[in-house]
Amino acid sequence: MSVPEVYSIAQTPVTCHAFNADRSQVALSLNDNKAYIYVKQGKEWVVEETLTEHDKVITSIDWAPNSNRIVTASTGSQCLHPLTGRLVWKPTLVLLRVNRAATFVRWSPNEDKFAVGSGARAIAVCSFDPENNWWVAKQLKKPIRSTVLSVDWHPNNVLLAAGSADMKARVFSAYIKDVDKRPVPTVWGEKLPFNTVCGEYASPAGGWVHAVGFSPSGDVLAFASHDSSINIVYPGGPVIHSIRISTLPYVTLAWTAEDSIVAAGHDCQPVVFSGSEAGWALVGTLDDTTSGGAKSTARAGTMGKLSSSAFNTFRNADTRGHTGGAEVAADTELLTVHKNTITSVRPYEVGRDGTVSRVSTSGVDGKLVIWDVGVVSVGGVTGRLGGMRM
Amino acid sequence: MSFRKIDVDAYDEDVLQESELYSPDPRNHAQVLSETKQKQAAVRNSLNKGDILGALNVALDSPPYGHNVEEAKNLTLQTVVSVLNITKATDIPTVLKSLSQDEQDTLMKYIYKGMGMPGWGDVSGSVLLGWHEKLTEVAGTGCIVRVMTDRRAV
Repeated sequence: MSVPEVYSIAQTPVTCHAFNADRSQVALSLNDNKAYIYVKQGKEWVVEETLTEHDKVITSIDWAPNSNRIVTASTGSQCLHPLTGRLVWKPTLVLLRVNRAATFVRWSPNEDKFAVGSGARAIAVCSFDPENNWWVAKQLKKPIRSTVLSVDWHPNNVLLAAGSADMKARVFSAYIKDVDKRPVPTVWGEKLPFNTVCGEYASPAGGWVHAVGFSPSGDVLAFASHDSSINIVYPGGPVIHSIRISTLPYVTLAWTAEDSIVAAGHDCQPVVFSGSEAGWALVGTLDDTTSGGAKSTARAGTMGKLSSSAFNTFRNADTRGHTGGAEVAADTELLTVHKNTITSVRPYEVGRDGTVSRVSTSGVDGKLVIWDVGVVSVGGVTGRLGGMRM
Repeated sequence: MSFRKIDVDAYDEDVLQESELYSPDPRNHAQVLSETKQKQAAVRNSLNKGDILGALNVALDSPPYGHNVEEAKNLTLQTVVSVLNITKATDIPTVLKSLSQDEQDTLMKYIYKGMGMPGWGDVSGSVLLGWHEKLTEVAGTGCIVRVMTDRRAV
């Protein structure tokens, strides 16, 4: 399956998405206060249910694959956690005790905790208290100095990476006494009580850290920041590989294997980076822009005289100020699959050995696209971006 | 009524300071100034010999940034712009390709700083715009984004 599957979900931006375990359903938010659950019928996604418990815009959704629970976070500084009945979603409100918006939420690998980043410069780690039958939040505050933009759990269920608008990516310990067993020492440290900072990293030119991610083993951390760079941290040294890219910043990333990352963001196409402790580099893009482009720029020339290239040249010069000729008209149209910023990239299909073979992306253009990670086109990135002008 | 004019952020102990967002220049004020003057002399030598690339390398190396080094920053800007003015338009792409990524980012910062100074538009406008266009072709929009996000303002 090498051609990306493109689904046009809506005309509004898809702010976040999360698939269930068998990928037959997806929960997403269309930039409002409702979460929609879509189910795949044939080749289309159809709305099955709408969850309307939030009264402010939903910023992030995560679906726990094994226990089949969804958690949603919204700017109204609450989290909602529907449990599944057989056909019914039952919402449970979680009070985070933050006085600002919740920006990002993720279930832990064992699905017994979830972490919520917020604008109150804190991360609320919530665990279930069976005695009172509710979710309790503990806050990670120091030394976060600004909004938390993204969080990611380490496979050991205890360590949490957080990217924040104070230009730093940090690794915290989110060990909760009655929920977690004492973790095995990792490269990030040992004996880690709650709120220990295991590492604090920044990219050389600074910039808000939009996305963080642990590698599948948890031994490597990657973060994407607003200065158009991707940084990969090996805590042993610490060795930080910083790749400066020549395009607009990435806002989301996902590891597909221990040595490969897919990142996406403001230049509307997912790109692949690959490397090891010795060094990392950009490999190419998942979006082969050269093939699909021809269709969209061809005009239906039925008018004879009026569609001649000479006519078009003068018309472009008059209406658009282009004096370059017929091919310049294609400049303003994006030839990538996503026509606007990609908001979220998530692993979609995971092979038996743990490597991700397909990823899903959602974007501000209202599309949900599933990409095959193996199809990387090298020429695409530089060719397209060389043509991008101010 | 004057309570509306109170700057509440001044009273907030936990407010995020500008200085927390980047690591400050480790050299002190006088040291930076003397280094800048030495660089200026070295650049002038290189330009007399016709070595544009060498001059640019020196001028863009360890730029002064931060708060209390205003004179050094202005001197460096003048030095950099003098190199840009002298370079022939046909030589610009070759020079740019031989710069390191750090130097390209720093050069873009100076181009924007030059464009932002009032009055410079008449004197060096076309030179700065020409360099900007060529540098964007080589380094991409990522370079420009880095100028905007980097708190170490030159």
